[in-house]
Amino acid sequence: MAMKKRRYALVIDSRKCINCKACVVACKAENDVPVGNFRNWINEDRQGEYPKLRIDFEPEQCHHCESPSCARVCPTGATWQRKDGIVLVNYDECIGCRYCMIACPYDARYFHEESGTVHKCTLCNHRVDRGDVPACVETCPSKVRIFGDLEDPASRIHELLATRRYHVKEPQTGNGPQLYYLL
Amino acid sequence: MHEVNWGLLIVVYLFLGGLSAGLFFAAGLANYLEVDGKPAYPRIARMGALLAPWPVAIGSGLLILDLGNWYRFYKLFTHFRWESPMSIGSYLLTIFTVIAFVYAFSWLPEDWRQKLFSKVPPTWKLVHRLNVDISAHRKTIAMVGFPFSIGVGIYTGVLLGAVSARPFWNTNLVAQMFLFSALSSGAAALLLAMVLDKRNPIEAHETKFLITLDIVFIVLELFIILPYLIHGTLSVLAVKQALWLILGGPYTLVFWVFFMGLGLLVPLGIEVYELAPSLLKGKPFHGDRNLALAASGLVIFGGFLLRYIFVYAGQASSFHKMGMLH
Repeated sequence: MAMKKRRYALVIDSRKCINCKACVVACKAENDVPVGNFRNWINEDRQGEYPKLRIDFEPEQCHHCESPSCARVCPTGATWQRKDGIVLVNYDECIGCRYCMIACPYDARYFHEESGTVHKCTLCNHRVDRGDVPACVETCPSKVRIFGDLEDPASRIHELLATRRYHVKEPQTGNGPQLYYLL
Repeated sequence: MHEVNWGLLIVVYLFLGGLSAGLFFAAGLANYLEVDGKPAYPRIARMGALLAPWPVAIGSGLLILDLGNWYRFYKLFTHFRWESPMSIGSYLLTIFTVIAFVYAFSWLPEDWRQKLFSKVPPTWKLVHRLNVDISAHRKTIAMVGFPFSIGVGIYTGVLLGAVSARPFWNTNLVAQMFLFSALSSGAAALLLAMVLDKRNPIEAHETKFLITLDIVFIVLELFIILPYLIHGTLSVLAVKQALWLILGGPYTLVFWVFFMGLGLLVPLGIEVYELAPSLLKGKPFHGDRNLALAASGLVIFGGFLLRYIFVYAGQASSFHKMGMLH
């Protein structure tokens, strides 16, 4: 049987986010992210002044773009994209030039001092490949994050994107980001 | 402010790469010019040829040191990725450096060459076979090298200009800006070296040639910078916000006073002041030593600052996080 086409993505229902940062901690523990570096983070958008004010929380990480500019500029091909859309770094090929960090419009990458290479969110490909969801998705207490396969019509994210309004961040960069924020 | 991934080493490298390209171009050009069937500027051609390979060689060394894994730099040459400016640039830079060294070798005086090879152990026969006079091929080597020198000058700009995520860089004008700045720095460095060489005092017609060349390049550079600024301020919000970095933001002073003023307009003024009497009124060109020193020094300083401003301000620009939300 032919392999089914897959396209992994994340839907983020940021109105449910309470900024507990459990996703950040889970990611750091799962992926051994050094102190001071992050593969995911939560943006805070403050508006107004007391007593009329509001704050929105918006989790962000690598957008695993459709046409990732980081992969395009990489001189050795260390940054590459799997057929299922996950953008990864082959650490053995990375020379540490940091061109990808500059080319990423979302500043989603960091320089791993110990290895001299660039690291980023892998969408927990080691977990996804054995059928689990990424650590940030699993741990989120308010169910902000929904992971799934866009090519699968029966998937939850397929349904959400078909029925809810959403936006992606900075689409004008032309990267085709694949983090979908529900409105 | 956005974190800086490319620091001073990259600035120095971009400057030195451009400087070599400019030196090679000016020297190669001088090699082609003749008056009454005789070379018009043989000493400029020689000085430029001998100087050209060194800045880019040093710059490439710095570039490798800046890598997270410097010993993996060879991987740049085990891959070729036409979509990556850095990949194309690595090959361009290497080929140019080799040509620049070969060209310098073709200009080595006979006694220097013999002295150089006398230091090689006599048993190294393969190396000694390179001890040949290739001075007859100077023009051919220069012609082969021209496109590569232009390529290196353009590449240092394309490296930045091709990054769509940084609106400060992402315009088709940065490549030309860096090219003309490189050519101007090269002409100025040649003038500086010729003036500083006291054993062979520079002659008025040589100063005139280099100053003329530099005026042309500075004017071309201005023709690029002004549209860059005007078009940028008339562009979309992200580009406007990026331009704010030099139009009111943290790099305003260094851009306008030190780069545009001291690094571009003041040396241009000095050079025009020097050239105008002979150009417009037919008076003999004198070429004041101190003015030549000042102008060339300032042009080189300006060339360095242009790289500095672009590398740092460019990294600070982005489609978000510019003090405005979304």
